[in-house]
Amino acid sequence: MSINIKHLASLSRLTFTPEEEEKFEKEMANIVALVEKLPDLDASGALIDPDNPMQLRSDEVANKPNRDELLQNAPEVQAGCIVVPKVIE
Amino acid sequence: MKHDYELVVGLEVHAELNTASKIYCGCRNAFGKEVNTQCCPVCMGMPGTLPTLNEKVVEYAARMGYALNCTVHPVSKQDRKNYFYPDLPKAYQISQFDIPLCENGYLDIWVDGAEKRVGITRIHIEEDAGKLIHDDSFTGTLVDFNRCGVPLIEIVSEPDLHSTAEAKAYLDTIKSILEYLGISDCKMQEGSIRCDINVSVHKPGEPFGNRVEMKNVNTFSGAVRAIEYEANRQIEVLESGGEISQETRRWDDLKGQNFLLRSKENAQDYRYFPEPDLLTIVLEQDYLDGLKASIPELPNRKKVRYIRELGLPEEDASLLAETCEKTDFFEQILAAGKIKPKSASNWVLGDVSRLMNETGKPITELGVDPAQLAEIIAMQEANRISSSAAKQVFEEMRKTGKSPADLVKELGLEQVSDTAALQAIVDSVAAANQKSIDDYRGGKTNALGFLVGQCMKASKGKGNPALMKEMLLKILEG
Amino acid sequence: MELYQLTAEKLSAMLAARECSSEEVTRSVLSRMEQKEPEIAAYVTICGEEALKQAAEIDARRAAGEALHPLAGIPIGIKDNICTRGVRTTCSSRMLENFVPPYDAFVMEKLNAAGAVMLGKLNMDEFAMGSSTETSYFQKTRNPFDLERVPGGSSGGSAAAVAAGEAVLALGSDTGGSIRQPAAYCGIVGLKPTYSSVSRYGLVAFASSLDQIGPMGRSVRDVAMLYGAICGRDNHDATSALREYPDFAKEITPDIKGLRIGLPKEYFGEGVSAEVRDAVMKMAKELEAQGAELVEISLPSTDYALSAYYIIASAEASSNLARFDGVKYGYRAKDFANLTEMYEKTRSEGFGAEVKRRIMLGTYVLSSGYYDAYYKKAKFTQLRIQQEFAAAFDKCDLLLTPTVPDTAFKLGENIDDQIKMYMNDILTVTVNIAGLPGMSLPCGFDSKPMPIGAQLIGPKFSESTLFRAASCWEKTLGGFDLSRTLA
Repeated sequence: MSINIKHLASLSRLTFTPEEEEKFEKEMANIVALVEKLPDLDASGALIDPDNPMQLRSDEVANKPNRDELLQNAPEVQAGCIVVPKVIE
Repeated sequence: MKHDYELVVGLEVHAELNTASKIYCGCRNAFGKEVNTQCCPVCMGMPGTLPTLNEKVVEYAARMGYALNCTVHPVSKQDRKNYFYPDLPKAYQISQFDIPLCENGYLDIWVDGAEKRVGITRIHIEEDAGKLIHDDSFTGTLVDFNRCGVPLIEIVSEPDLHSTAEAKAYLDTIKSILEYLGISDCKMQEGSIRCDINVSVHKPGEPFGNRVEMKNVNTFSGAVRAIEYEANRQIEVLESGGEISQETRRWDDLKGQNFLLRSKENAQDYRYFPEPDLLTIVLEQDYLDGLKASIPELPNRKKVRYIRELGLPEEDASLLAETCEKTDFFEQILAAGKIKPKSASNWVLGDVSRLMNETGKPITELGVDPAQLAEIIAMQEANRISSSAAKQVFEEMRKTGKSPADLVKELGLEQVSDTAALQAIVDSVAAANQKSIDDYRGGKTNALGFLVGQCMKASKGKGNPALMKEMLLKILEG
Repeated sequence: MELYQLTAEKLSAMLAARECSSEEVTRSVLSRMEQKEPEIAAYVTICGEEALKQAAEIDARRAAGEALHPLAGIPIGIKDNICTRGVRTTCSSRMLENFVPPYDAFVMEKLNAAGAVMLGKLNMDEFAMGSSTETSYFQKTRNPFDLERVPGGSSGGSAAAVAAGEAVLALGSDTGGSIRQPAAYCGIVGLKPTYSSVSRYGLVAFASSLDQIGPMGRSVRDVAMLYGAICGRDNHDATSALREYPDFAKEITPDIKGLRIGLPKEYFGEGVSAEVRDAVMKMAKELEAQGAELVEISLPSTDYALSAYYIIASAEASSNLARFDGVKYGYRAKDFANLTEMYEKTRSEGFGAEVKRRIMLGTYVLSSGYYDAYYKKAKFTQLRIQQEFAAAFDKCDLLLTPTVPDTAFKLGENIDDQIKMYMNDILTVTVNIAGLPGMSLPCGFDSKPMPIGAQLIGPKFSESTLFRAASCWEKTLGGFDLSRTLA
């Protein structure tokens, strides 16, 4: 089975040089061959576990936001906002 | 439609829920606050943070499910929808994929004098994304995370809508139900209700055409324009021998046009998978039964009932059903006295609505007790007071808080129906207006109105106009 | 004896008896770090001053007569994927080189409340992906038993620090063996707790459904003490279990009479070195001599666990690590023409090769057309493995296996062979796949001589039983031998 490295890289927002890509292709082929070892079983049902219910949170406001702290790790901040390259919609 | 095409529309409505806190964290769910002041490490997707599901979101979504006649699944789950965008801090949206909270419902809407049933495919819960601020004074795009994690429900309809009128009626009905249930503010200008539209066209008897999805439709009037535009575009392509490909287009309401966003080949691969940070949503049957029982009669049902059972004109029924405060008030008036529904409707849509507009107050804060208003209407219907006297009593009642009966007495507004007294008035008016009598007899029938007016004046507004009119006619035709 | 050489249990007693102060203990460990860090390189960030300040505060509170937690004043190292408010948390990645969380992980809140002294942040494989700590962006940590060898991974810094006396206790995290394998390689005790017993809030996620934070220490009681301090329900982690926990350290007894210990034959197969197999079997016999009953067990789907593990873990990782996009925090590339380029350059420069491999694998198994064949099938395989464990625990109370097929390998030995590296996890991943508690404890040395690790596996929430069996073994050995690394 051939793995479309370029497509996966694009979905993952990664880029590789041609040499890296070649290396990755081989490594991925080996890894995929390893993980393909799965039993022959019926996997048609839904992935849901009704025996594991979740406790829901009550609808209460609990946070005291601190913008300076939240933005302290941001690479670029202007006017209280994080800045990214211009997004063309 | 042009060239005998049939239009097929399906709608995906996204409505923000008006919970106190966000869907997965304790941040305040508030609009219009200073940028990045309503967020926390969780909704900003900081490393190591985890979501916790707000129970109110599940409750509101389930109630909408019951309102739209859906099956509400007692066991459902959440999934991750993976894509990169600066307004999505985790680079995935927590949503629901294969097991939504609600499925297989329907909604009855009223279009062109008849009811129409629209299938509801599903309703699921998910989180809203942040907001990108595009401003030329900045070199880049600014990101405000306040809206991240605001709870949304997505209501997906079957492709059952065949005209813009049907689409509009569907959207209006959805909006009125959300407001009735008190689960969404539905403020278009705040973007709290938005929709994506699937449009295709085909000739009757032929298979469905390929559908085009339109994104970024933020108003209902925009939805109508967007559907018209897209239908015409598709018909033009087909008529000129082209083909419609399954694609996603972006609606630009200012330009009144849509633009290709991505073709089928470039369809996004969202790599949905079950959200491992959250366990199964399990709802007890008792809880669900309670929610189901709590659903009031909804505006679309009320409207049909008002038309069919109360005999109201369609326009009255529509206007009343717009909000539950009006229907509640209307029904309280009816419950308080034996009066004609149309009389009650006239008051609610007339003076009461006018007062609401003038004062900007909700109906409950106008100082009008529906039972007392019913009393006024009943006196008016029984000809005990005239319509102008009724308005006077209504105003005085609001000012003084006195009962209508007392006010009628106090102000001496009781209509005189004593025939002897009225006959005297009519006779004297007739004697003083021979010219009008001649006019009437000469064919100018509107002279009657003048004469009735003179009689009313002479009775100081208290004479029963119907009785006096009868007496006048006797003289005129006698 | 130097203070840094002592167990937390001993130090706790000495602190309570005012035989030493927390400041003295902390100074002893800090000076040990100064001496050993140049060769071991266990820490990414050292918080010496803050640690001494914390120690002094605890001493003052103790002097004021306050009743303190047994861990109060004990110096602890924290794996660098556990968020520490105000102290950078890097995940040993260039991506988070300068990331300073404005919040504490739930376990840090608990440790701070207990008064534990935080020494610093411990090196690891980048984003916990690896079995040797060689994928760290910053440094290669060395095994205190042999500086040519790896300490294991991904909690290699934690294991090396504890073994070398550079921390009395440490927190690690375990997604597929990341606590147990380095514990085995470094001759210490490490517990991967029952999934859901320790909150994951503030643990930078690798694979959400498998990750657990766990304690590492030089004795069973030390590990029990630390586990007792960090377990418990957290309302900020929806997957956290709603239950009460006993005082584990207090209730430990070395009495294992009648305990049924299962030996799953699939865990003693060809891939396992003869020396490791013999050591674990010897331990089994000894436990039998102490009153346990040995039961032969079969877990036929063990062979599939590695596949299921790599599929599920990578799928979740590809999604969990998507947030590192250069927008809100962490590394952002310098030159880019547009948004897509910023994303791609940031992620390509910020992540190392192993992380990229896992992201690519995870993206692949979730992508359109492959989801059913890989991800979904792996999840159903996981169910089958869970059922087999449940059936096994009808026949025995816990399982005894080797932790790793062999002892620590040399630096660079497996770095270019992913398959060989991944095979290292073959005996540990099943425990994560099944959500069970698993503990690695020292079980002698091979001829190199490097420490061998034995693994105890129990049903969910059976940590007490694991501690009991482990403590019996510890007692028969007269304690675990760390004389070479603590000297």
